[in-house]
Amino acid sequence: MNRFFITMPELKAIIVSNISPRLKRAARKANPFDKTEKSKELYHHDSFKRVQELDGGFFEKFGTLLREQAAEDTKEVHEDSKEKGEEETASEEETEETPPDQGDIISNALLNIEELYSEILFETLHIIGSDASIIEEQDTLFAYLQEAFKVDQERHTVMLEAAKEKEAPNILLNVEVVEGKELSPKDANVENTPDDVLCLEVWDFDPAETVREKMTKIGDVKGVKGLTKLMKEIAVTASTGKHDNEFIGTATVPLKSIPAAGQTLWCNLEKKSKVKRQGLVKVKVSFSSEKNSHVAAQEHRHLLRILLLHELEQNKTEAFEWKGEFCVPAATLVRQHLAQSGLGPTDDALAQWVEFATVHTSHPLSFHLFADLVRKLVQPINSGLLSDEEIKLFWDGAKKLLPSCFNSIKKLRKLIPGEKSTSLHLQSLLTILAELSKVQQTENLDLFPSSVYGWITSKDSPNDIRSALTDAITQSAVDWFQHVVDHNKPTDDSDEARLKHLIKVLQVVRTDLQRAIDFHDKLFGQIMLFPYSRTLYIIYDNKVSEMTEPVVTDLCMSLKPIKYNEYDEPIQNDSNDSTLLAIGTTLFELYLVLQRFAVLAKGLCPADLEGLHAQQFHTWYHRGVAQWLDIAVYKAMKRIAKAVDLDELQPVDANVQYSASPIDTLAIFNQIKVFWQQLAWPDVEGSYTFVAKIMDDVCINCVYYADIMSKKVDNMGETETVYEKKFEVTNEWCYAINNIDYVRLSIKSFMNDLGVDEIIKQLADFRSPNAAEHCRVTLQLLIDNAIDTVRNKILDLLEVVAVKMTPSISRFLVEGAELLNQENNSVDRLMQYLEESLCTLSSQLNPENFDRILSIIWTKLAQIMYNLVESSLEKRRPPSFFANLHEMLKILTGFFRPDNGAAPPSLGANSEVLAKIEQLLMLHGMDTWQLIQQCHLERLNEQQQLTAAPLGMLTVRMQFVHDLLRIEIMNARNIRPMDDNGSCDPYVKVHLVPEEKFTGITRPRTKTHKKTLFPLFDEIFSIQLSREQREMKDAMVHFLIKDQDFLGMSSDFVAEAYFPFSGIPATTMETRLDEMTQIHLKLSKPSRMDSPAIKALDHRQGEKLAKDFIKKQRSKAGSKASITNGNH
Amino acid sequence: MASHALGGPRPGNRNVLLKIVILGDGGVGKSCLMNRYVNNQFNDNSFHTIGVEFLNKDVKINDETYTMQIWDTAGQERFKSLRTPFYRGTDICMLTFAVDDRTSFKNLTMWKNEFLHYANIKDASTFPFIVVASKADIGADKRVVTESEIKCWCEVNDNIPYIETSSKDAINVETAFALGVDSWKRLEEAFDKTNNYVADTVNLSRLAQRNSSKCCSN
Repeated sequence: MNRFFITMPELKAIIVSNISPRLKRAARKANPFDKTEKSKELYHHDSFKRVQELDGGFFEKFGTLLREQAAEDTKEVHEDSKEKGEEETASEEETEETPPDQGDIISNALLNIEELYSEILFETLHIIGSDASIIEEQDTLFAYLQEAFKVDQERHTVMLEAAKEKEAPNILLNVEVVEGKELSPKDANVENTPDDVLCLEVWDFDPAETVREKMTKIGDVKGVKGLTKLMKEIAVTASTGKHDNEFIGTATVPLKSIPAAGQTLWCNLEKKSKVKRQGLVKVKVSFSSEKNSHVAAQEHRHLLRILLLHELEQNKTEAFEWKGEFCVPAATLVRQHLAQSGLGPTDDALAQWVEFATVHTSHPLSFHLFADLVRKLVQPINSGLLSDEEIKLFWDGAKKLLPSCFNSIKKLRKLIPGEKSTSLHLQSLLTILAELSKVQQTENLDLFPSSVYGWITSKDSPNDIRSALTDAITQSAVDWFQHVVDHNKPTDDSDEARLKHLIKVLQVVRTDLQRAIDFHDKLFGQIMLFPYSRTLYIIYDNKVSEMTEPVVTDLCMSLKPIKYNEYDEPIQNDSNDSTLLAIGTTLFELYLVLQRFAVLAKGLCPADLEGLHAQQFHTWYHRGVAQWLDIAVYKAMKRIAKAVDLDELQPVDANVQYSASPIDTLAIFNQIKVFWQQLAWPDVEGSYTFVAKIMDDVCINCVYYADIMSKKVDNMGETETVYEKKFEVTNEWCYAINNIDYVRLSIKSFMNDLGVDEIIKQLADFRSPNAAEHCRVTLQLLIDNAIDTVRNKILDLLEVVAVKMTPSISRFLVEGAELLNQENNSVDRLMQYLEESLCTLSSQLNPENFDRILSIIWTKLAQIMYNLVESSLEKRRPPSFFANLHEMLKILTGFFRPDNGAAPPSLGANSEVLAKIEQLLMLHGMDTWQLIQQCHLERLNEQQQLTAAPLGMLTVRMQFVHDLLRIEIMNARNIRPMDDNGSCDPYVKVHLVPEEKFTGITRPRTKTHKKTLFPLFDEIFSIQLSREQREMKDAMVHFLIKDQDFLGMSSDFVAEAYFPFSGIPATTMETRLDEMTQIHLKLSKPSRMDSPAIKALDHRQGEKLAKDFIKKQRSKAGSKASITNGNH
Repeated sequence: MASHALGGPRPGNRNVLLKIVILGDGGVGKSCLMNRYVNNQFNDNSFHTIGVEFLNKDVKINDETYTMQIWDTAGQERFKSLRTPFYRGTDICMLTFAVDDRTSFKNLTMWKNEFLHYANIKDASTFPFIVVASKADIGADKRVVTESEIKCWCEVNDNIPYIETSSKDAINVETAFALGVDSWKRLEEAFDKTNNYVADTVNLSRLAQRNSSKCCSN
């Protein structure tokens, strides 16, 4: 019936005819609509207010959720507060979900409902498009309409009849050729052949241009300007063929096949004369009418609202659930109205935007729906395709929708994070905001009226959606934080409860941040370029610091140091009570939570670290850490004491020689280390100092361990019977020693584990290599000192063992010395005792400690022996006693001598003592004759040491001819004057020593020479000796120069000299004495009475022989004194 | 021989251990004092001490060998919480100030109190403090603290011994430490005297404890 054709000059042709405006009806609709709008606005305000009032409830729920999360994390949630939270949440939910009274809205719209109703009935009667052509459907639609519009049957019938009587509407078909392809080289034209078929004739319009070029241009105008806007009639009578245009082909589209909403399709071009396809044309066809668009749009909005409300009522759709899907009849009606009113997709989208936003204020719809709509609208708006009035409508819609958007964003914490629905929800919300941000705002647009947006703080950019978003997020974070704080109130006023409260709040905040990072950040970033977590972090940082810093600082200041008594043990009193310790511990817990919080910043806002308060959280703790460390020491000491107390001094397993307590102790140290590592003190100077403190503390603990371990074994191994009190070295002793050593050996690696190297390195960077070196030295000294101190403790303990062995050793030695020759087994018992003890030590101690104790015992033994000799001398024990002791010393020396024949352990240190002991024992063990001979030997030794000869010289010649000793006494020089006149009457007497071996031998003497100090004796003596005497070891010739008194009755000792047999040449009979070398002997006299041999003899005062000898020696020595005096 | 590998102190020759803490305002020359004493070195451009530093020195005074464990501290306020933990177990405390720095002198009272508080000292009046005036080498024109006011302060504070030193010119440094040891010894003797009715073991255990509570070395 209608014939349209489309020409190409515009590259798009729309042919409209049979316009029949219905302005009259549309004009009447405008007024009541406005009224409805107003009432909704009111309702909206009301509902928002209520939401605000109930915000508390939301926080309840979120708090609960978070607490549950935190509980998984920390298991520290209080059940009661959780339940309370849930209750409140539930009540709030209920209120919110109460469906708005739709009846009001409907009745408000009642005034114009009838007109709209009749219009829709009319349209339904004249359904167009392929998808709604079935007659039966009309009845369904009528039924639906009647229900949706709440029209009674009678009225419906009347109105339907009226509608039926109306003239059929004039419907326009808009045809748009979008593009063509594979066309035969001719221009295209569109022509509508009669009788309900759309016929497209494609002509080669302008031979000057190739078809291909034209088709390219067609492609350019794909973004067709609103069809309904530009209904220009551009029909050109091209089909007449009055020009040279060449016909390409025809495409036909049956009108009945076009759906009411229009369609875009590819059509084949055909030419009657040819079988071959002439090409393809993409055609967009849609219906429209000549209705006034403004009126139509209003009608459409109204229709949408009525249908939507009905839809919501029918389906009882949940809030935020409806996503824009109408039921089939409603969808058909909407499509029909669009088509028959000539409304395009943008009109539809705008109408939906406006109406749905209005409904949204009372019954929230899915944000996804709005996101779709706003996406459709932004470009048309920015392309200027909408009238000012329409843009105003758009913004009005936006203004209705936005509060809900921001509210939803604020309530983000209410949703289950990580669920798809949540992220879709957020995505839609953010899309709405992002798209709206793109729209050019109109003047005087008060997008965020302060009456609604009380929480918006930034007044500088009043309509900025981004800053509103920032404010919304900030405000919700602040509110939420306050809620968390309020709903985790400390259980009481104690510091402990305050700390626990802070910990809980921080944990919840941290969980919130983690969620933000895990689930929301990406969407915020992608869609709005908004740093969500970072924004939250900065808010929380501020809040947390504000709340935590004063509490922490106060508590750290108020912590009293643990009091110690003078033995450096913690005093058990009120100041050290458990509350204090618990606060210290809780403070540390809070530290760790703060630390985790602060660490988040490094990932979230690396650029803002400087300005963040919580980054400095450790400075709040400065004063507290020292106390913590004291607490750590205190706890460690208590545990060490316990460990030692429980230690049964049995090896922990067969392969080791230490028991359980050192392992426990090291575990305690390890806890201190872990504490330190967890502390992860951020400031390097503090790190250094605290590590120094920890080292000092560990040293204290090591020493403490050594002390109480020593105390534990102190009275072990002592047995007392009726006969004796005895100490035995037991395994327990050895384990105690090994235990301490085990702890000692672990010190170094423990210290290294504290991260000293890293600290020094950082110090070098932070301060200077020189300063770092100083610190390194300090730490090294601390380690060395700790190791040394504990080693000294081990030595102490080893010495204790040795000291405890002393009485037994001493007793065995005395018994042995007294009874050695009486078949007594004391020596054996001593050896057995030593052997048993050393065996135990050897098998249980490590080689190093065994050597140490061996050395200590050996030293002790030397001391015991020395003391024994001294005391025995005082008691004037017989020579046999000392001889026996000497024997035992030899046995002991052999016992301690290592297998390799080296010197006994630490002989170096004790060699002097031992040598002295040996000498004493040797001398005191001799008989008196031997001792006297020893005195002579000492004198010989003294004589040989002389460098000058103050008492003159004696010259002799001597030889052995077989067993005959021949002596020529030649002369003496410079002998000392004996008489008052300064002269002397000297003679020489020859003795042979040891005297008791030469009894019966005549002692030759020279003549006396008068008054000379240079006598010339020149006398020769021959003394026949036995072979035995001749070969006697240590035998000597003893020359005595004496002064004959003038009466010739007595003589005085002048000087003496010795010469050993061993020095006298053995010659043949033929050798004359004058062939022998002259021997010049330095003359001397006994000068000291304290030589060891003399002293030993002196101890034998009871013996005549000894007494006489001593007396004689004294007189020899003393005579000089008198002479010396006389010389004065 | 194992005994040589041991290399450590033999029983009987372990020294008496003395923990000495040097306190005073930042910049008065505490580190210089310690370095002059321990290493006989002087460095004009030394840096601020970080928290604490620690050196050992074996010294023979009146025929007895002591191992001095000298803790040098940082005087700056910001290090307060880092140095105070080290006060406990101190035998001798050196309060230092510089004669050209009146504030450092005025702060002596503060230092003394800080020490007493953190070292947990029961009888403050007998504790071996030594007041050490540093930088005595500077000219009279630069000197702002007079000897009489120092002596006055010492008198008021239980007659704390006082000595003027110069680490730069190595004047009185050893004497200052010896003075500290003297004070300590007098306190020990007084302690022994008041406790002489108790068995010797008390003193022994106390001494042993004294030694073991700190690190010893040689």
